[in-house]
Amino acid sequence: MDLETVKERAGPREFSPKDEMPEEYRKAATRMIQFHANSEIMGAYLERPFIRQAPSLERKLAFSAKVQDELGHGQLLYRAAESLGIKTRDEMLDELANGQGKFLNCFHYPMESWVETPMIAFFVDGAAMRRQATLKSTSWEPYAHAMDKVCFEEGFHVKHGEAMLHELMTGSKKEQEMAQEAFEKWWPRIIQFFGPTDKQSTHHGFASEVGLKQKSNDELRRAFLNTYIPKAEKYGLEIPDTPTIEKNDDGTYNVAEDELNWDEFFQIAKNEYEPGLGQIDGRKKAQEAVAWVRESMDSHEQRLYGGGESPQAAD
Amino acid sequence: MAAAQQLPGPQDLSDEQREAVEMLLHRLADDEFVIAERYTEWQVRAPTIESDIAVANIAQDELGHARLWYDLLEDFGYEEQDLIWERDAGDWRHSTLCELPFDEGDWADLVVRSYLYDEAEFVRLKALEDSSYPRLRDRVEKVLSEERYHREHARSWLERLCEDDDTRARMQDAVDRLLPYALTLFSPTDDEIEERIDELGLRTENLLSMRESWLDEVVATFESVGLHVEEAQLPEQYDVHHADFDLPDETGRDQTHTDAWFDLFDEFTKSYRELGRHSAMKIMKDPDDE
Repeated sequence: MDLETVKERAGPREFSPKDEMPEEYRKAATRMIQFHANSEIMGAYLERPFIRQAPSLERKLAFSAKVQDELGHGQLLYRAAESLGIKTRDEMLDELANGQGKFLNCFHYPMESWVETPMIAFFVDGAAMRRQATLKSTSWEPYAHAMDKVCFEEGFHVKHGEAMLHELMTGSKKEQEMAQEAFEKWWPRIIQFFGPTDKQSTHHGFASEVGLKQKSNDELRRAFLNTYIPKAEKYGLEIPDTPTIEKNDDGTYNVAEDELNWDEFFQIAKNEYEPGLGQIDGRKKAQEAVAWVRESMDSHEQRLYGGGESPQAAD
Repeated sequence: MAAAQQLPGPQDLSDEQREAVEMLLHRLADDEFVIAERYTEWQVRAPTIESDIAVANIAQDELGHARLWYDLLEDFGYEEQDLIWERDAGDWRHSTLCELPFDEGDWADLVVRSYLYDEAEFVRLKALEDSSYPRLRDRVEKVLSEERYHREHARSWLERLCEDDDTRARMQDAVDRLLPYALTLFSPTDDEIEERIDELGLRTENLLSMRESWLDEVVATFESVGLHVEEAQLPEQYDVHHADFDLPDETGRDQTHTDAWFDLFDEFTKSYRELGRHSAMKIMKDPDDE
């Protein structure tokens, strides 16, 4: 299929591995899905220590299930990315380990305290939900299909995040203050989640022309703010002064984007932000420590099936 | 064994009966909670995404079981904070096998430990199927049904990692290190109370007899995959009635613990303390209504 036909036909779930897609499309889709899959893994990596720190048994269970779901989403998304024939899952996981794999800005920041967990699980996941819901009608069918399951489960995660926020904001004064402090730290990052304004975004044009991307960064950010500013206020959080946010007559918001730290954002986007490197390297080290197991699984499969195509891992 | 007389519900137990029931429940609940806490260390750190998800499943099952057993302790008026968050670390009764930390990348430890634990869990749940205490007996089947998958999982990894010499050597190290601690799964908390647990028919097999069944199973399996138990310093390995088992100094059951336990306890109670909480929030339905 040539690019012109792709652009003409670009609609929800229009293309699948049955179609001969041009390399430009396959690369753009791979970049997008790989980024998404990496983000699931690094989000899980960031949150995992808080399974241990959950302040009740049932919250611990819910937290562990959430982290497990993220891993499952990563698994599903790598598969959707693999179906484009550009990179294998192992290649993508290697890229993530050696610092080439890109992922969401928010997952580059370390998380130190329990009060930060709803910042991720409510606001960041809520923001992610916005974007993911639109991706149910992306043009690459395996990606859209993965989104069905991901969005379904993310619905629970956001509820879990909202419940944690609710607990904190109806708790002691100390808890409320700690949560407000965490909110102030995370708020600018959360707004940056949707990336730079459309005019600064380099990949947007092509991805939307071929139907991979359904909504622009600006549209998504606006929709997010319209929903989440009232929610934050409902729970008693005060919206920080920076960046300046003005409410329009029609109820929408304008954000003074130039007040945000875009140098840091782009440093993060290049995987050069120092604290985030700690997380990338930490995951790499953990993965290297169990390389011996993966090697042994490979030789196990060799013994069972001989050479050639290796089957899906058993468990 | 003759069916023991049925015990009444939690409110109608004598003090002595209640003490025995509580002790038995602590053995169960504390083990499940603490080993799950350790298992979660593997989340996002396991060798593959698939094995990661599998171990996360198992951790959640064990946490779910801990929840069921702690809930039965709540019948006696305790609340979750009394049983977990505000309890003195030195009061816990779990076997020290559950509390040992994992070294980074030591998947052999995870496999051997979960194998030893799951086999022991199977043996002890079997001995609870006909427990004289109905509240406990009624929950055994659900727990057992989940443990079946755990055993299969542990066993298939065990076999796989014993196929070649290098990985089998890692497995042997893990066996040598862990087996003495695994024996503490069958150590008594208090001799007199353990006897009472048996006399009341709360379980239908005593600790020594369960240890024998368990050892028969695990030693035979280890040998079938080329792992040896003599390195693990079991004096008369099959003679479990031998009095001088080389147990570790800390069995956990008698409230002696390794230093790692106190660190772990500090870690998992950190948020609870920092937030200044006084109770644990329930977010799920009561297990009796599920």
